[in-house]
Amino acid sequence: MGFTNNIGKYRLGRTIGVGTFAKVKLGVDTSNDQYVAIKIIDKRMVLETNLKIQREITTMKLFHHLSIVRIHEVIGSKTKIYIVMEYVSGGQLSDKLSYVKILSEAEARKLFQQLIDAVDYCHNRGVYHRDLKPENLLLDGKGNLKVYDFGLSALQKPGGMLTTACGSPCYVAPELLASKGYERAAADIWSCGVILFELLAGYLPFDDRNLMVLYKKIGQADYKFPHWFTESQTKLISRTLDPSPVRDRWFQTDYKQSCRDECDEKIYLDDVNTAFESMEENGAELKMLQSPSFINAFQLIAMSHGLDLSGLFERQASNKIRTRNDKKETIRLGSKLPVDETIKKIEAAAMNVSLSVEKMNNFKSSRKISTKEPHRSICLWQVIGVAPTNCVVEISKSAVELRVYKESTSLLTEKSDTSPRMQVPEEVCISSRSTQKLEWYLKI
Amino acid sequence: MGCVLTKRTKQTPGYEEPTVLAAETPFTVCEVEALYELFKKLSSTIFDDGIIHKEEFQLALFRNKNKKNLFADRIFDLFDLKRNGVIEFGEFVRSLGVFHPHALVEDKIAFAFRLYDLRQTGFIEREELKEMVLALLHESDLILSDDVIETIVDKSFSDADTNGDGKIDPEEWKEFVKKNPSLIKNMTLPYLKDITLAFPSFVLCSEVEDSEM
Repeated sequence: MGFTNNIGKYRLGRTIGVGTFAKVKLGVDTSNDQYVAIKIIDKRMVLETNLKIQREITTMKLFHHLSIVRIHEVIGSKTKIYIVMEYVSGGQLSDKLSYVKILSEAEARKLFQQLIDAVDYCHNRGVYHRDLKPENLLLDGKGNLKVYDFGLSALQKPGGMLTTACGSPCYVAPELLASKGYERAAADIWSCGVILFELLAGYLPFDDRNLMVLYKKIGQADYKFPHWFTESQTKLISRTLDPSPVRDRWFQTDYKQSCRDECDEKIYLDDVNTAFESMEENGAELKMLQSPSFINAFQLIAMSHGLDLSGLFERQASNKIRTRNDKKETIRLGSKLPVDETIKKIEAAAMNVSLSVEKMNNFKSSRKISTKEPHRSICLWQVIGVAPTNCVVEISKSAVELRVYKESTSLLTEKSDTSPRMQVPEEVCISSRSTQKLEWYLKI
Repeated sequence: MGCVLTKRTKQTPGYEEPTVLAAETPFTVCEVEALYELFKKLSSTIFDDGIIHKEEFQLALFRNKNKKNLFADRIFDLFDLKRNGVIEFGEFVRSLGVFHPHALVEDKIAFAFRLYDLRQTGFIEREELKEMVLALLHESDLILSDDVIETIVDKSFSDADTNGDGKIDPEEWKEFVKKNPSLIKNMTLPYLKDITLAFPSFVLCSEVEDSEM
C-alpha cells in the first residue's frame, strides 16, 4: 500500500471512501503503527453550513461506545479539515447487503440491538444522527456493527440528504420530509426501523424511482411485509415505523446490554481511576518517607484548587455537554477523627440511606458508594490521614453523568420506552440526592 | 481561501504565529490554533481586549472573578512571563506547554519549584511552606491545631532539605520530587492531549498549508 504524504503524525494511504463533501483515506498513526481512517472535508463545504460542526465534534469526543466509530483527533489546514477516526475493517453494511440480501434472524437481531444501543447512547447525550442508513453502518472484523458519522450530520448541506446526489432518501422519516418541526429522536428511530426491515426482507419498505411517489409512500407509511416475517417482527417494525421501538419481545430475545454497560463503566470510572492512581503513589510514598500518620506538606498543598487548571478548559469547551475529564467534582471535608473511625462513620452513614459501600482493592482508606438496584457507582470517598488525630475526606462525584442524564431524560422517557435503561436516570438523580443527604448526615 | 474575520481578530497584542509557538512547545500547529480559540474565550470574559486579566483567570478557575487564592496567584504570575500583569497569547501557550503530558519532567519540576518559591529567592523556605499549608487549610475549611501544622511542616521540610541548611534548593527539590512523583501530578493536564477536539472551531480559521503537514 503506497503512502504518499503525511498529515500531522499520520501517514495517508489509499482512498477508502468518497462522499459528496468528503473523502475518507486510510492512514497510519506513525506513533503506534495503528490504522486510522481519515475523513477529509473541503472547508468551503463546511463554511456554508455554519459552525455546527464545532459543537458536534466536541460531542463526539466524549463518546466511548463499542458500537460507535471513535474520533481520535481533528486537524485543520487552510483548505481542509481532517477528522481522524478509528479504522473499521469490515466495510459498510450496505456492501454486505448487496451480496447477502437477507440476514438470518439472529444476525439481524444482533445488528439491530447494537444499532439501538448506539442510538440510545447518543440520544441520551443529546446527539442525533439524522442520516442513519446502511452506508453509515460499518462492520468490524468480527461482524459487529459500528455507527459512523454520528453527530457529523451537520457536515451535510441542509436538506442535502434529500437530494439524489447524496444517496437514497429511503430511510428518512416522514416528519423530516414534511420539514415540519420534528422530533429528532423519533426520526432516528424511524430510520432504524427501515434498516431492520431491509435486513430481514432484503429490500426496502419504501422505494420508488419517482421521488414524489416515494415521499408519498413514506408520508403514509405505505409498506407491505413479506410473507416470511414472523408476527413479532411485524409487530416491532410497525411500531418502529410509527415510531417507538424496543421493550419488545422480539428485541429482547438474546439482548444483553453488556456492551453498552461496559463502555459506560469505563468512562464513568475514569476520574475514579485517576484518583486511585494518585492514591497508590501517595500511599507508598507516605509509608516510605515518614511516619504514616502525618501527611507530607507538599502533598497537602498540591491539593489546592488553585493549582488545578482544568477549569480553564471545562467551561470554555464549545459544547454544553462537558468533556469526559471535567466530571470530577470533588468536595473536601475535614474530620477530627482518625482514619479508621472516619471510615466506620462513613460506612454507617451510607447504610443508613441504603447505599452500598465497597472497599476498593488495595486501598484500605477509600470506599466506593453505589446504588444497590441498579448497581451504579456514584462517588468515591477517600480518607487521607493528615495527622494522627485528623483526616481529610475527599469525595469525587461523577457529576457529568448526572447532568447529562437529567438533561436528556425528558426526551426518552416520555417519547418511548426504548430500553430498560431509561429507568436509570431518575435513580441516579435520586442517589445523588441521597449522597447529599449522606454528606449532611455525616457532618464529619 | 481567506478567513477575513480571523485575520482581524488575530491582531491582538501578544499574538504570535502558531508555527513559532509550535516549534518552542510540545504542541502542533493545529493544537496552537485550537488553544487560540480557548484563549479568545478566556481573554474576553470580562474585558474584551485579547489578553487575560487576573479576574478573568480567577473566573475561569473558580467561576468567581473575585476569588483570591494564593496558588492561583502564583500560577498567574508564572504565566505572566513579561511581568506586566496580564497573560498574552504567547505566554499562555508557552506556559501551558509545561502542562502538556509530553512535556519534559524536568520542566514540570522546575515550574513547581518556582511556584512554591513564593518570594522568588531561589529557595523554598520553611516560612513559605508554612504559609502555603495555612492557605490550603483555609481554602479547604480545614482546622488543624498549631501543633499539628508545625509537625507537618517540620517533618516535610526536613525530608526535603537533605543538606539541612534550612532551605530547599532546586537540586534538593528535584530529588524530593523524584521520590514523590505524585507531587507534580497537577503539573500535567490531560486535556491538552485532545485540545483539537475540545475546540474544533479552529479548523475553520486554520492557516496551515497542506504542504507544511
